[in-house]
This record gives sequence, C-alpha cells and structure tokens, in this order.
Amino acid sequence: MSDYLRALFPELRTTPFRLTSPSDRNYNCIGWAADDTNNWWWPEGDAPTIYWPPSAPRELTLAAFGAVFSMLGYTVAVDESHEPGFEKVALFADPDGIPTDAARQLASGRWSSKLGEAEDIEHELHALAGEVYGAVALILKRPLVQGRGPIPDS
Amino acid sequence: MAATSAEKLPAAPPAEDMEQRFRRLRGQWSWDTRVLSDPAKIMGHPAMREIIAMGNEVVPIILRDLRDQPSLLVWALPKIVGANPPFEGNNDKMIEAWLKWGRDKGLV
Repeated sequence: MSDYLRALFPELRTTPFRLTSPSDRNYNCIGWAADDTNNWWWPEGDAPTIYWPPSAPRELTLAAFGAVFSMLGYTVAVDESHEPGFEKVALFADPDGIPTDAARQLASGRWSSKLGEAEDIEHELHALAGEVYGAVALILKRPLVQGRGPIPDS
Repeated sequence: MAATSAEKLPAAPPAEDMEQRFRRLRGQWSWDTRVLSDPAKIMGHPAMREIIAMGNEVVPIILRDLRDQPSLLVWALPKIVGANPPFEGNNDKMIEAWLKWGRDKGLV
C-alpha cells in the first residue's frame, strides 16, 4: 500500500508518513475530518450511504464545505501552524477550486487524512498536494472542546 | 497520474471471458479511484462504467468480489439491478443487504 501511495502522491517519497488505520469503505476524508467514521460525507451522489448535513449547501464548492465545518464550530484560520488550544482542518481543492480532500491536525502538529476508502495516514500537510488532490485551499480552526484534548497521534 | 487522468483503459486481451474482463476493469478502477472521495469520479470512471454496462451477468461476480473484499463496488449494483434491497446504515450494511439478496437468489 505504501508504494501505491508514493506513486499517487510523489511528495510522500521524500517526507515521512505512516499508515494509521486499515482501509475502511464506511467513511471518507470529510467524515474523518468531521470526526465521523461511520459516514461517507459528500454533497453530491446518489448512493444512499452518502451523507451531507441537511442544512448545508449541496454543491461542490469550497464555500459549501466551509459551511459544513462552520456548523461544526470552525472558522477560517490564518495558516496551518499548530496553535495550542485549537484544532485545525485543511481542505484541499483542485485548480478549479473543487474540493478533493480534507486533513485534520494532530496534537503533534502533523496531519491525518483518510484517503478515499483506503487507509488513514499521518503525514506532512503539503505532502498530499499534487495532481490527485490539488493543493491546500482553506485552513479552518476551532477551539478545543473542554475535556477533550487535541486528536492524539496514533 | 492514474487517479485523475484515467480516460483511457488498456486494450482488452483477445478472448477475455467475463470474469477476466471484470478483474481487469476492477483492478484499473481500484487503482485509479481508491483514494478519491467524490462519488461522481468514483462511479464515473471509465472502468466502472464498463463494469456497469456488462449488465446482470456481472452481478454474481460483483457479489463474490464484495463477499471476499468489501468495497465501494457495491455502489454499482443498484445501477445494474435498478434498486437497492432494503437496508439502513453505512456501506458495510449496504454490502450485507446485497449479499443477502444474492444468497436469496442463489447468485452467491
């Protein structure tokens, strides 16, 4: 699997990453970033197992994805730096601004992504940039919920 | 890069039977879409479109594949058969419902 990922994401050939979960077809990157490992989050699609918050815009735009995370308490962040007391989510988008992936920041400051129906990996944020996911297009943050620490490294 | 530019599929070998054809297409589809989240890209991949176009004859092969290796391939079944069997829940529940449907029909 690692060779497959290095083939898809060339930056993973030169930056450290590791698999942190088995593959799982029940949730995707947006679900993972939203702390939901039981649903495939996406605004479009006719499969009955695809979930999108009912009050969120059903459109394939960064604004719609941002609105979903706004409902979860996130606001736009200035950058991807690790800020004590906050957790962050990064949205990737293709050159046309179409969202492709989301990553969430770990307590260490590194990032975690669920790759489609494949594994979760821990990685450097921009290591997933490239032809498949495009580039980081939006960083969001929210205060850590009291009593719940930042997402620990696996 | 495979995941976003797989508009062309490798040429099919001559005298390929249905199972071989499915395996070839499934492998290409999985390689190209496994890390994607957008259902339109996953289900709109040329290999997936070809699998769906194979029609009812490929359904038992898909069911066996899902039994042995659960995956988003289950999303192809309602596009071939016409509707989902009753179920509630996530993709694993959808796969369970389809496998039960297949067993009831003697297909798997």
